[in-house]
Amino acid sequence: MLRYLRLFGIQLRTSALLGMQYRLDFVLDALMTLFWTASSLVPLVVLFHQRSDIGGWSWPQALLVVGFFTVLRGVIEGAIQPALQNVVELVRKGMLDFLLLKPADSQFLVSTSRFEIWRGVDVLAGALILVWALVELEHVPTPLQALSSLALLCGAVVILYSIWIAVVALALRVVKVDNLTYFFSSVFEAARWPAPVYRGALNFVFTFVIPLIVMTSYPALAIVGELEGRAIFFSLAGALVFALAARLVWLRALRSYTSAGG
Amino acid sequence: MLSVRNLVKHYRVHRRRPGLLPALASVFRRRYTVVRAVDGISFEIGAGERVGFLGPNGAGKTTTLKMLAGLLHPTSGEISVAGHVPFRRERDFLRSIMLVTGQKQQLLWDLPPAETFELNRAVYEIPRDEYRRTLAELVDLLDLGDLIHKPTRQLSLGERMKCELAAALLHRPRVLFLDEPTIGLDVTMQAAVRDFIREYNERHGATVLLTSHYMDDVAALAPRVIVIDRGRLIYDGSLENLVRQIRPDKRVTFRLEGPLPPVEWARFGASVVAQDEARIQLQVHGGRLRELVSWALGQLPVADLVVEDPPLEEVLSELFARRHEEGE
Repeated sequence: MLRYLRLFGIQLRTSALLGMQYRLDFVLDALMTLFWTASSLVPLVVLFHQRSDIGGWSWPQALLVVGFFTVLRGVIEGAIQPALQNVVELVRKGMLDFLLLKPADSQFLVSTSRFEIWRGVDVLAGALILVWALVELEHVPTPLQALSSLALLCGAVVILYSIWIAVVALALRVVKVDNLTYFFSSVFEAARWPAPVYRGALNFVFTFVIPLIVMTSYPALAIVGELEGRAIFFSLAGALVFALAARLVWLRALRSYTSAGG
Repeated sequence: MLSVRNLVKHYRVHRRRPGLLPALASVFRRRYTVVRAVDGISFEIGAGERVGFLGPNGAGKTTTLKMLAGLLHPTSGEISVAGHVPFRRERDFLRSIMLVTGQKQQLLWDLPPAETFELNRAVYEIPRDEYRRTLAELVDLLDLGDLIHKPTRQLSLGERMKCELAAALLHRPRVLFLDEPTIGLDVTMQAAVRDFIREYNERHGATVLLTSHYMDDVAALAPRVIVIDRGRLIYDGSLENLVRQIRPDKRVTFRLEGPLPPVEWARFGASVVAQDEARIQLQVHGGRLRELVSWALGQLPVADLVVEDPPLEEVLSELFARRHEEGE
């Protein structure tokens, strides 16, 4: 465990070094990230200009969802997506071999192979949005509410990561998964809206298949104490199931990995 | 150290004819053919041996190497490397091997090699002291100097290959898999890499299995060769024997001081390989070499002479040609 923490540190350090190789990129990327975050608030502002609630969710409540959405997007773009793209690149060039030859868990090495640290700006921006929303709500979360929404957020990260690692596993076989990453990014955009926006089949899909509602609406409900304990429990259990399934998919993919060239 | 028994690797490959229509058809119905990349080979390699792995393109060399390194699962057969089954990828196994490929690199492109070394130190859990000692030795042996602090993208191909070797040897592996380690390098750099590999093998008793297209590599490094063709093992033994078996001839080159009178070379069973005003190169059976040389020294204006084995490339292409003729 300690060993993997240390490895994580080294991987993070290497990514930071890589990031700082190109200083202008670094600054521009951070600025772009802030710009996109700010612009992602626009539809919400426009909507609430016309009406006072969406399916019973008030403006600050919807803002909470956007806050959690922004934090998660920061994690995706800062940690999960760069690693995935790196792996796709490695597979294409046949360089994944070197990674698989290292005496450490391959899934761990793959997952931590690249971070884009400036995207962490989004995590901070998301946290600020959350504070803003709580101020508007005039609500101070109890320790239990704070803890449960944090746990749900972690669960959301686990679910997102699991979906991505399954995509990476697919990359070992089909090599070209760029389109899939676009697909996922656009689907993930749906997570910025509160749960009642989605009805019927869509609600089912976004709760159980690609659990976007669980990722952003649930923590938003939990932080104001409006989510049942049962829902919290099942969400976290669900995250565990996702993680285990992803692990299995990864191990299976390794078995059939054919390497590139020769 | 390394043993392979009845190793088989079959790939299922999707085949289709060229053109748009067949491509469209293949979306709906795919035809697969099985490619027998490796088709039942067996061999053993002892600790500290240097073995050359030869064969034409697509013979199954790289596939075999990848199975030995644990990257590919064999279709059937048994492999044991340093007491481990490679594809289980146990930590101890991975720590005792290395793989260097001439065409691919593990060094981080935008950072100096030293950063990749540092990463490997952490992954292989090499103690600081040992790491420092090993790195110093490798820097010295490979003559790396300050190169390891320059960004990899600024290094020449040869410099990069030397750094690749260093990165792969930091954890002191006992088994070295080298796949075309000198590809694309100039002659001096090839020789440097070759010398280094031999030096490393002699110092640390590491087992070396190498594939190369440059026969000089094989001739200089590998007293023993394993030859495979179309996934089957066709020769395993000393390089010397292979050459004698396939091409018992020698090449004699005479440098001449004056014009050459007409000579009936056929009476020595010899034939002319190349000839110009100052030189003549002949091919003659090893058993009649002595007779031919002593006659020539007595009768011809010879200034100098060189006796060589035929080039390994020719030996091998003859070996493969013979097999293919035999309908194999």
